[in-house]
Amino acid sequence: MIWFIMIATGLFTFATRFCMLNKTVGKQLPTWLVEALSFVPIVVLTAIIVPAVLIDPASHKIAIADNPRLIAALVAVSIALITRQVVTTIGAGLATLWFLQWAA
Amino acid sequence: MSGTSDTADTLAEAPSPKQEFWQGVCDESPLMFGVIPFGLVFGVLGIESGLDPLQTILLSAILFGGASQVVFAQLWAAGVPALIVGSSVCVINIRHVLYSASMAFHLRHLSLRWRLLLGYLLTDEAYAVSIKRFTNGRAGPFQHFHLLGSGTLLWTGWQASTIMGVVVGKTIPESWSLSFAIPLTFIAVIAPIMRTRAEIAAAVTAGSLATICQPLPWNSWLVIAAFGGITVGWTVHHLNNAKRCAG
Repeated sequence: MIWFIMIATGLFTFATRFCMLNKTVGKQLPTWLVEALSFVPIVVLTAIIVPAVLIDPASHKIAIADNPRLIAALVAVSIALITRQVVTTIGAGLATLWFLQWAA
Repeated sequence: MSGTSDTADTLAEAPSPKQEFWQGVCDESPLMFGVIPFGLVFGVLGIESGLDPLQTILLSAILFGGASQVVFAQLWAAGVPALIVGSSVCVINIRHVLYSASMAFHLRHLSLRWRLLLGYLLTDEAYAVSIKRFTNGRAGPFQHFHLLGSGTLLWTGWQASTIMGVVVGKTIPESWSLSFAIPLTFIAVIAPIMRTRAEIAAAVTAGSLATICQPLPWNSWLVIAAFGGITVGWTVHHLNNAKRCAG
């Protein structure tokens, strides 16, 4: 089953990349679709980030106070805005998390 | 740009396929500082999620899209029904239609073999550098080799780092919380690109929906959050435009 899903999603992904290079399709996408698709990276990535930060892996409940991952994520956001570097952001976030876990 | 002799210049001095290819490789290389750690993390995470080494490695070749592979592994590990895993991955990857549309103008004249190959290599990172070459650089008969170069470097780095991650994955202790590198990577990607009010509204909606909807059956939170966020973002965008026209 897993192989079936891997190949099916792989074919779909390839289709999204190839579709407009296909000569039989019109060259223009409708404006509303372009606008809607332009939000996809932001909404999908935020939807992955926020629960991963806010939900405690042990209790599966939302944790705001006393949540080292939330502080590490806020540090990462500031570093990302300042440096715009992926490696620096990951490094700062992980270092913050390790420090807070070690200090606790 | 500089006058009438432009056409003749282009023909005389157009970069060769080799030059275009290596320019693509060069332009892509700074991005590899982000891609290789991400590939490592995916390799580690794939094994942690219970995929076997072959599945983890082949996922990098078949899907060839970091965020979607991470979601695939996470949802599969959580025992989510195949249909939801599939649709979540598809929602994430549908953004490629935009890249495809914007590349179409530059690539449509190529043979089917070229278009299939370049379509396969059309990822966020390769798109980002090669569209710059196509739109800002001087048009050349071999410019598609630029995308071949950027895409090939990205592909090779992604596969190699996934394999490295699979190999070292077993030896990394759980206490390192390495899986937290995934949300951190995504923070690094989106924090700098969020600008407009519509984008922020979309992100806030998606983040809240994803968190609130966690207990819903079949891990449907990702699909719900995506559609909710897009709807709100699109609406705010149009309200803003309407206001600007009125005022």
